[in-house]
Amino acid sequence: MKHLKILILVINFLLNFNLAHASDLDLRVEQITKNLRCLICQGQSVYDSQSDFAISMKLVVKKKLEEGKEEKQIYEYLKSKYGEWIVYEPELNPNTFLLWSIPLILFIFGGLLIVRKVSIK
Amino acid sequence: MSNYFGNYSLYFALIASLYLIIKSYLVSNKALKYLDKNFILITSIQTLMITISFISLVFAFIYSDFSNETVFNNSHTLKPMFYKISGSWGNHEGSLLLWLLVLSVFLFIFLLKSGSQNIKYRVLTLLFQQIIIAGFLIFILLTSNPFNMIFPIPSEGLGLNPILQDPALAIHPPILYLGYVGTSIIFSASLASLITGNIGEAWARHIKKWVLVSWIFLTIGILLGSIWAYYELGWGGFWFWDPVENVSLMPWFCLTALLHTVVVLERRNLFKEWTIILSITTFSLSMSGTFLVRSGILNSIHTFANDPSRGLFILSFLFILILMALTIFFFNQNKSKGAIKESFIFSKETAILVNNWFMMFFLSVVLVGTIYPIFLEVLNGSKISVGPPFYHNLLIPFLIPFLVFMSFGPSLKWIKDNVRKFEFDLFVIFLISILISYFILIKSEKSFLLSIPLIILSFYLLIITIKDFFSKKSYLSQKVSHFGFSLLILSILLNSLFSFEFNSNMKVGDQRVFNDKIIILKDVIVQDIDNYKSLKANFEIKNKNTTIPLTPEVRIYQQPFTITSEAAIKTTLLSDNFLVFNILKDDGYYNIRYQYKPLMIWIWMSTILISIGGVLSILRRNEKKY
Repeated sequence: MKHLKILILVINFLLNFNLAHASDLDLRVEQITKNLRCLICQGQSVYDSQSDFAISMKLVVKKKLEEGKEEKQIYEYLKSKYGEWIVYEPELNPNTFLLWSIPLILFIFGGLLIVRKVSIK
Repeated sequence: MSNYFGNYSLYFALIASLYLIIKSYLVSNKALKYLDKNFILITSIQTLMITISFISLVFAFIYSDFSNETVFNNSHTLKPMFYKISGSWGNHEGSLLLWLLVLSVFLFIFLLKSGSQNIKYRVLTLLFQQIIIAGFLIFILLTSNPFNMIFPIPSEGLGLNPILQDPALAIHPPILYLGYVGTSIIFSASLASLITGNIGEAWARHIKKWVLVSWIFLTIGILLGSIWAYYELGWGGFWFWDPVENVSLMPWFCLTALLHTVVVLERRNLFKEWTIILSITTFSLSMSGTFLVRSGILNSIHTFANDPSRGLFILSFLFILILMALTIFFFNQNKSKGAIKESFIFSKETAILVNNWFMMFFLSVVLVGTIYPIFLEVLNGSKISVGPPFYHNLLIPFLIPFLVFMSFGPSLKWIKDNVRKFEFDLFVIFLISILISYFILIKSEKSFLLSIPLIILSFYLLIITIKDFFSKKSYLSQKVSHFGFSLLILSILLNSLFSFEFNSNMKVGDQRVFNDKIIILKDVIVQDIDNYKSLKANFEIKNKNTTIPLTPEVRIYQQPFTITSEAAIKTTLLSDNFLVFNILKDDGYYNIRYQYKPLMIWIWMSTILISIGGVLSILRRNEKKY
């Protein structure tokens, strides 16, 4: 189980390891608001929506960034205010552990099955 | 009038279905010399009845017969004729009737086309397919009858969701359904062949056509849905990992796996149980897709018609079908058992196993991501969102080994291939890919660590699949599909790396400078058209030496009140210029969103290539084997 957790974290790290780190404020707002659900729309991100909620949300994110908050801190703040529902990327916690690990477990299991089916002679 | 026709022909179809279920069940235990002609006759009458019923509904829509509740809820006299017709399947009741129509038409074609097969096998396939048909008929008649009447007859309908008034969306459900429903034949045929014990090369050759047909329609259906989302939803993306999109992608992964496995069964008589399991799974996924979309369980942009009580019926029906399939599987799986053979590590068999391995992984990611939030909410009430980052994080890293396997797997020989020695030309191709990738990545502003191997490998795969066209070791169909796939992956990657966009609020006469482009809003023209009010904005995107005129539109519909935005898209071979605008509350200002999207057309074209490969495989006549 521990290995699995490390694997998930490594994958996460690799994916989010941005070579050209976005420094521009607007770009960072874009990045963050694309990962937020517009709560009053149907299946739209805050970034994509023009609703009042989304517009004020974009301002909130911008303000927080200007205050010097990190991306993570902003998510935490929004989650405490609106619940986990608002973030598109579910964090790794007891509730979501299976969500992240079931596909990986199945992948390993499938690999073992193939190894058993295959001969080297 | 048409209401009565439509309604009663459904009852007749149900009687035919019940008769065929009983009759074919009774006959299936006996030794049969020939197929009872009545089976085909009654099935054709049933198909005719369902067709009459469907046509009645279409007529009710064409003539805006508001005594029909479905027409009243979903149509309007002001609606253009094309959308009146497509409106007949753009709603819950009508779409189920279409499902049913395709179910029975496919069964009819199956009976005609399977003449060379074992009689008992045909009777059993008929039996299972009729069980599905009967289930859908009962479902429609009990919970979703498209011919419910209302009195007094209203003078005007409630209209159709204007977002759905779009040519791509109008033909997208029927195409997708042809794919979904095609899997029902695969399901019924698999169960029948389990019982008769005729799973083998001949059966594989026969069922492969059905797998291909379903797969082609499903691929095109997904493509059309994606194109629709691209220009109608106005966000410039083509895949949102929306649950309804996922639901169509899941059977696609399964069918793609099955498509490869069935070839092994045809050529080597291997993977019998696995082929059957895939067939059952594919159909279950198609059914649950219908269930998930229609039940309103999903939180999605697509839930335009939902009613949870209906979901319960489909869910129990699906449960019964799966239970039946599993029971049949466990009691009959030994009948077709051949000698247990292992496959050699360097062989086409193993390569296809690896393909299946990855397909099942992709499937599991999408499946878990789609249904996990539902289960979690039921179990402990916590609401989580599983969005694009989840799918990207889990899928993208696994794409790297997948591309590696795909670059050499298809060229392996059956049974036993030699361990490859160092091949100089492959090495050169690899170096070339690194070089191209270097010059491309150096220009990108948002490249991620993982994009380096991904870009290199997709160029490598692209060159390999082009090189394969000159080899004589595989079918043209395979070459085309694999080339299409590598082109798709590459286009998606480059598209995501080099897309950029610009947001601003502008009023008429304003201009904005962005990178090396100037965006000018010249004027906005307001017009009343058919059933909506149109606002057309004339924009100009000026580059150093080119000017692109773009006219996005906002439509304001009154029945029901909806605002839609039609993106203006200028497509060239290299890139799309995409522009949408929205009305803002403060007068005179419009919100504009300009996007530069490279290689969009190649995403569509490569998907079409993938399905052309499938068509070529169906049309293939010569039985030369590779």
